Amino acid sequence: MSASELSLVRPASLAEAVAQVENGARALAGGTDLVPLLRDGLVRADTLVDVRAALPRGIQGTRIGAGTTLADLERSEEVPRALREACRLAASPQLRNMGTIGGNLRQATRCWYWRLGFPCFLHGGDRCHARAGEHREHAIFGNERCASAHPSDPAAALLALCATVETDRRAIPIVELFRLPTDDERDVVALEPGELILSLDVPAPDASVYLKAMDRRRFAFALVGVAAARFGGEVRLGLAGVAPIPWLLAGPEGLDEATPLPGTAYKVQIARALLGRALDAVAPG
Amino acid sequence: MARLIRTEKEVEGKYTEQWIVVEEDSLDQWPEGPQTTVGRPAARVTGPARARGEAEYTADVQLPGMLHTAVLRSPHGHARVTRLELGPALEAPGVRGVLTPEECEHLTSEPGYPGEPVAAVAADTFAQAEAALARIDVDWEIVEPRLDPDDAVRREELIGEPQRYERGDADRGLAEADVVVEAEYRTQTVLHNALETHQSVCVWEGGRLTVYTSTQFIWGVRAEVAEHFGIPEDRVRVVCRYMGGGFGAKTTPGEYTYIAAQLARKTGRPVRCALTRREENLASGNRHATIQRLVAGAREDGTLTALGGEFTMAVGWDGFQSSTAGPMQMLYACDNVRTVEYGAKLNTGPNAAFRAPGFVEGTFGLECLLDELAAKLGLDPLELRRRNYADSDLVDDRPFSSKNLLECYRRAEPHWGRRDEVRARSEGPWRRGVGLASQIWYGAGGPPSYAWVRVGSDGRAHVITGGQDIGTGTTTALAQIAAEELGLPLDRVEISIGDSDRGPYASISAGSSTTPSLGPAVRAAAADVARQIVEVAAQRHDLEERVLSLRDGNVVSADGGSWGLEEITGLFDDAQIIGKGSRGPNPTGMRVLTFGVQVAEVAVDVETGEIRVERIAAIHDIGRVINPLGASSQVEGGIIQGLGHTLSEQRLLDPESGAVLTQTLDAYKLPTIADVPEIVTELLDIPDPHLTNLGAKGLGEPPIIPTAAAIANAIRDATGADVRSLPITREEMLRALEEARERERAVAGSAG
Repeated sequence: MSASELSLVRPASLAEAVAQVENGARALAGGTDLVPLLRDGLVRADTLVDVRAALPRGIQGTRIGAGTTLADLERSEEVPRALREACRLAASPQLRNMGTIGGNLRQATRCWYWRLGFPCFLHGGDRCHARAGEHREHAIFGNERCASAHPSDPAAALLALCATVETDRRAIPIVELFRLPTDDERDVVALEPGELILSLDVPAPDASVYLKAMDRRRFAFALVGVAAARFGGEVRLGLAGVAPIPWLLAGPEGLDEATPLPGTAYKVQIARALLGRALDAVAPG
Repeated sequence: MARLIRTEKEVEGKYTEQWIVVEEDSLDQWPEGPQTTVGRPAARVTGPARARGEAEYTADVQLPGMLHTAVLRSPHGHARVTRLELGPALEAPGVRGVLTPEECEHLTSEPGYPGEPVAAVAADTFAQAEAALARIDVDWEIVEPRLDPDDAVRREELIGEPQRYERGDADRGLAEADVVVEAEYRTQTVLHNALETHQSVCVWEGGRLTVYTSTQFIWGVRAEVAEHFGIPEDRVRVVCRYMGGGFGAKTTPGEYTYIAAQLARKTGRPVRCALTRREENLASGNRHATIQRLVAGAREDGTLTALGGEFTMAVGWDGFQSSTAGPMQMLYACDNVRTVEYGAKLNTGPNAAFRAPGFVEGTFGLECLLDELAAKLGLDPLELRRRNYADSDLVDDRPFSSKNLLECYRRAEPHWGRRDEVRARSEGPWRRGVGLASQIWYGAGGPPSYAWVRVGSDGRAHVITGGQDIGTGTTTALAQIAAEELGLPLDRVEISIGDSDRGPYASISAGSSTTPSLGPAVRAAAADVARQIVEVAAQRHDLEERVLSLRDGNVVSADGGSWGLEEITGLFDDAQIIGKGSRGPNPTGMRVLTFGVQVAEVAVDVETGEIRVERIAAIHDIGRVINPLGASSQVEGGIIQGLGHTLSEQRLLDPESGAVLTQTLDAYKLPTIADVPEIVTELLDIPDPHLTNLGAKGLGEPPIIPTAAAIANAIRDATGADVRSLPITREEMLRALEEARERERAVAGSAG
């Protein structure tokens, strides 16, 4: 569908925006992922709802409005370091100035098969083309049906930080926001149709960090991203780029459970190294 | 007087004899070193227009009533079109014309690679043309794609004949060696990704065709398009005033030009055909992957006794087979050399020239092999290269017109000497090291090329030539040459290029040849004007011509007289002084080459496989340097492009269907500015005494040639790991580190 056939509405109030989205329209915030997906025909919509004016934006204590841009977050001293770093290491300055944290949690995988419209499992097909094909950027966990890798750096940080997502209808722990695709449900985001992320509650840890390995110094999706956050004596770990969803790791030994493909075994090694460094970074004293 | 000369023409190592007509060209070269304008840094004369967005690229050309084209391309690795119904597309909104394989030889119903063009639609807008494409009724019979180059060689499915070369007796040389090293190197397929995609706008007016196109060779496009349409070349005008990069892939018209021209004729409208970024990465050329099985033998003192290589190039469905064996044949004084090169025919996009085609790949293999040999011999890698220095060309048994590689090596010493200090900065998981690699390449340029210079009564000069500036700074260098010869400040020289109707023939911008080809013609034309001005001034002021010269915008006499140039030319009112100049021949019987060495410093995180290139020193011998600022930009650009080739860029294919998976710039990873190391450029600036009235060679390609090998050798120095496959991704680095650890364990085990 060409962009000219889309209609765009710009509600001024949140209630209006929620009503529009509930009506089957698609929410548009920074548009850094949605616009290319529309252009490539991977997402279809008749109506876009520009929610930027309506969505909460900004940081107040532990609460982050869903319309807050990644650029806002990376610069805020109020934001835990893991999230700040995850934002800073994501994308490019131009994209971070546009992209919102709410939209970032909904961004689609960079799996080239999915992006090129192969009839793969994630698109509703019966097999994952990456498993037998070219998969150096793909998953080492949860990859049995679909080996795509989740691209979000901030999501991994939010996992480690035990964030809660608040929508127009409920509060969901971030770990429950994502689910591996199944035969019955291929969407990795566990939101109801028309449900809109409004804000995040991000508890302040005692220490946190995000480390990222990529193919170049900047402006690349994570081969492996490792977030660690320490709350008192407990350390939580979230990984990016290693599974179809942001991956919560129970502990360092969790890496032994990895199920890498031939072309992704190197990611386990990188994850192990980054995990060690992340744990050192958040260790007390 | 015009002279008819039989001379040699060399393009990237291939010599042909040709007749040329040259004007008398008796100019002596300027003395070595910076002149008034030449040899001094000059900001690009086109810079402000480019920065302000005023420069008109092909992508900016908008003509009244212009149509836009979308091209139906094969989604399959190999297929046959069994049904093609364009009727529904023709009825779609805005559509003005379609083109089928029957109507255009550059469309096909048996596409042999993903992205090969099958049909085209022209509509009022690009969106309409794209929408109409979806309405084309097409059935494909899919053929299993052939993707494995070794397999293709075994089946003898080749592009062209295998290229065999031998001098001396390589077997005997190996038998006489004290030390032999053997290794297999691999390089990947990389994509040019010029900022401006391949594109043309074509318009017919009264039997004449104008082609606005992003090209490295307006005259080549003119000739090929004229032949295609069976019309005289002078009825085709080709325009390329500004260009957003080519890197070798824009030397021919390309299917987009023919499609646009044919649809323009069919619809009676101007037609644009521009590749999208995805099409660009499917079907506009690439640097083919290589597999290089190499061997070197040497005596204990490091003297090479034999070099051998079997090279397989994944050329693709079509395209030219670049000389990957060239560096092995040319770089060292080795008496026994044997190479064979196979070009594999595959269901992948055709290869196209890409900045030093073949030599980038071949230098990676050869210069890594030399370092492996040095390690085995216990010799300093720089010393090993010195001991095998070639004083003359052994391929054609000719003297070099000039070669200052030893001086490059001498200038490399301070950079090479940093390695103890660099290694000592290793800490934690980060290991640091230094590596170097040599560079050899062409860059002589050659005839014919012509230039005109006119000076009006205002005392300003205008240089006109039908060359093109592909982004290298050609226009600035040519303006500097004219300014120097005319004794004018640079801001009193205008330059017009890139229009075949508005200037004389000039050579292709490829093979590092633009400055050495066009520059001498511009100097000759400026000298023609200067001579006429002196003649006029001598008559006006009753002086002898020999006491007059042009300096700082003045005509100056030996006795102290000085007249502003405009005082002399102002006598003419509307009259102009017109000069013309041509490129003279290359020195017959000599080998004209460029040389250099790069020294890379790297840091490797041995736990995560991250590689950071921290510093590259580039020392090149390219004859006289016209514009040191433009030249250092070329070196930086070449090194950055080489960095991508070494570390992050690769075209990936689906092994089953042959589909290109890295069509967009998120998946295909060009380096960003954050990856760029400190780059130290040193150009020898020693004019080649035998080459033209300038002594200048080309620089476009040399800087990218040694970068990969220098980095790989630095990685070995830092970690002990042999990286023999490009790109050196995290997984390749970690694999090589693991291999090195296993080797160490095996040595320790056998020692214990």
